[in-house]
Amino acid sequence: MTDIKKGPVSGSKPVAHVTIADRRQFLIGSAGLLGAATLGLGTGLGVRRARAQSRAEISFASAAFFGKETFGDLIKAFNESQDRVLVKNIELPRPSSSTEVYQGLVQQLARRTGTPDVFSQDVIWIAGFTAAGWALPLDEYFPADKRSAYFSGTLNACTYDGKLTALPWFMDSGMFYYRTDVLEKHGGKVPENWADMATIAAAAQKAGDIDFGYLWQGKQAEVLVCDAVEIITSNNGAILAPDGKSSLINQKAAVDAIQFLHGTIATSKISPQDVLSWDEEPSRQPFTSGKAMFMRNWSYVYPIAQDAKASQVVDKIGVAPLPSFPGGKSSACLGGYQLGVNANSKQREAAIELLTWLSSTETQHRIALNFGLAPTRPALFQDEKIKTEQPFMASLEKVFTGATARPITPEYAKVTLALQSGISKALVSGNVQAEMDALATQIDQIVG
Amino acid sequence: MTAAATVSGIGRPRRFGKALPVSLWALLLLTPAFVSLASVSFYPIISGLYLSLTNTSLITQENEFSGFSNYVQLWGDAQFWNAWWHTMWFTTASTILETVIGLGMALILCEAFKGRGLVRAAMLVPWAMPTVVTSKMFGWLFDGQNGIINYILLHAGLIDQNINWYGSPDTAMMTIIIADVWKTTPFMALLLLTGLQTVPNSLIEAARMDGAKGWTTFWYIRLPLLMPTLLIAGLFRALDAFRVFDLVYVLTGGGPADSTETLSTLSYKVLFSTLQFGYGSAVSTAMFVTEGIIALVFCLYLIRQIRRAQ
Repeated sequence: MTDIKKGPVSGSKPVAHVTIADRRQFLIGSAGLLGAATLGLGTGLGVRRARAQSRAEISFASAAFFGKETFGDLIKAFNESQDRVLVKNIELPRPSSSTEVYQGLVQQLARRTGTPDVFSQDVIWIAGFTAAGWALPLDEYFPADKRSAYFSGTLNACTYDGKLTALPWFMDSGMFYYRTDVLEKHGGKVPENWADMATIAAAAQKAGDIDFGYLWQGKQAEVLVCDAVEIITSNNGAILAPDGKSSLINQKAAVDAIQFLHGTIATSKISPQDVLSWDEEPSRQPFTSGKAMFMRNWSYVYPIAQDAKASQVVDKIGVAPLPSFPGGKSSACLGGYQLGVNANSKQREAAIELLTWLSSTETQHRIALNFGLAPTRPALFQDEKIKTEQPFMASLEKVFTGATARPITPEYAKVTLALQSGISKALVSGNVQAEMDALATQIDQIVG
Repeated sequence: MTAAATVSGIGRPRRFGKALPVSLWALLLLTPAFVSLASVSFYPIISGLYLSLTNTSLITQENEFSGFSNYVQLWGDAQFWNAWWHTMWFTTASTILETVIGLGMALILCEAFKGRGLVRAAMLVPWAMPTVVTSKMFGWLFDGQNGIINYILLHAGLIDQNINWYGSPDTAMMTIIIADVWKTTPFMALLLLTGLQTVPNSLIEAARMDGAKGWTTFWYIRLPLLMPTLLIAGLFRALDAFRVFDLVYVLTGGGPADSTETLSTLSYKVLFSTLQFGYGSAVSTAMFVTEGIIALVFCLYLIRQIRRAQ
């Protein structure tokens, strides 16, 4: 009905400035439309009901991302691509208000009414949603051979208690930014271990080539946990034991790693004391204004750094996997949103169909091009169109290979608050071992 | 409810009015106001109190009565006491500073001088600003790298290198207090100014005739008469300062090393990040009780003052 009504109304606008021939055509067209409308009046209701019955109606909830299109457009494309499932899009707040998105999802899922049927979630919520019984295990729909198409780090984050309860969608991770011009003066080789990085940074700083050697994020916030996960994992350490029931943060590997971060401020002085109150943006600004040599940050920095209006380091930067300690492997903290199905969904088959479509190669390709969000399928990084339109994204495959999940535990919300507080205390006081012991006791109480 | 009461009151005043005793009439007319107040004010408080006696959590889906276990946990929670002390320190320091500076401002604005109206209006600008804007502004003023405060202190030779105000536990809370004082002192000044204007001029003139100088007049006449206003303004300010949230949330998020964590930010984290509604309500109730004690102390002191004056 509404479509038919709209036809003549929106069609009448261009009439004012078209030729007579056009007008005649238009009149014929609108007469046709009118006829259709009369017909439609008679049959429209019946047609509509029949349609609704044949299509399974489900809902999809996600934080609102924007690009050349929105997730609403994406869902519309899905609705138009087939006639079995009709999806209603529920828009949650923007990803920058992650706490609000989380609350919105939890409130709906806790009602157990089956709405939303499909949802997207930050990697750190997956375990909690699964433990609460809200996430449908997906193992039977996505057997091992289908999973091998995704990055293993992402799959790991989507798995809780041996079950796959989320499907990888798009990702981000921590990465190592460097200044090519400054590095050229100091050996030209991108450092692959932390000690080399500190030596080069200190030398460049001493020579007066740069104000700050290395920037990272030490503010008592979620990002501090990400920085910590990366450096601890790159020393073969971990925050939680593999079973998730006890803490390893006071073991030597983790303590040494945090000690190194403290050292960048206190001993080698390659990082200003300010990093202790900086999250992503405050640390990005000195880097893009040309004051820093190395920086750990997310992928969003790259387009800003290459924008001549906002940056003084255009074409002078490079990105690499973060360094590691001897014997360890480079690690990048995994971020991004993954897909889940509501365990209480009454339209399971339809939900799985939407899920499969959203995570498919074609849709991830579209999301990469239109939203600038990186795919979770390594094969897409070889795609020619992505390579030409998003050259930076295409170069990230190496970085994402080292993607490491933050501690996987249903109590993550409590664990992260404890980690933020404990690591911040260690970095401020320098009593790393003592603070890590206290932190380990606290975490053991939460997860044990 | 409201409509029914009004209609019957107007339509048939005599028959109805006689049927009910006067006191009952009053109660009946008060009911609408009571019901609306109760639903938005008392019910949430009672509900919060009840929640604090349960183990309600959205994540674990538990929702059972657990007696006083939340309070036992709270008593031994170092995080809570850390936040409690910070909040008390913030409240005391900011209230005292704001009262003293506000009193000074009020005394100046009480005198007659050219453009007084303009100054009085301009003084209120910081108070009229949204706190989030103030927070962002102070974030930039005290920025460790490009902040103007560091620039001035460095060039005046008072410090020999930039200080990271928000990155060190020694200075972070102090900086937040400064921001709060800047923002809320005008409010105190305004309250105290109205108090000063109620002091009869005749008393001051009489004192002058007896040869009292400015300081003596202030100490023996203005201040004692201003005391009730001062205490009430202080009470308002202390209760308001106790629930400080936005400055901390925007500037430091509670860090570094928990050095700026206050009860409001802590209860926000417990309630809305970890979704432990039971324990979070216990934290909020503890805040409520502490505020009650603060109010009680102020009121007792106020009553004593008024009694003494009589």
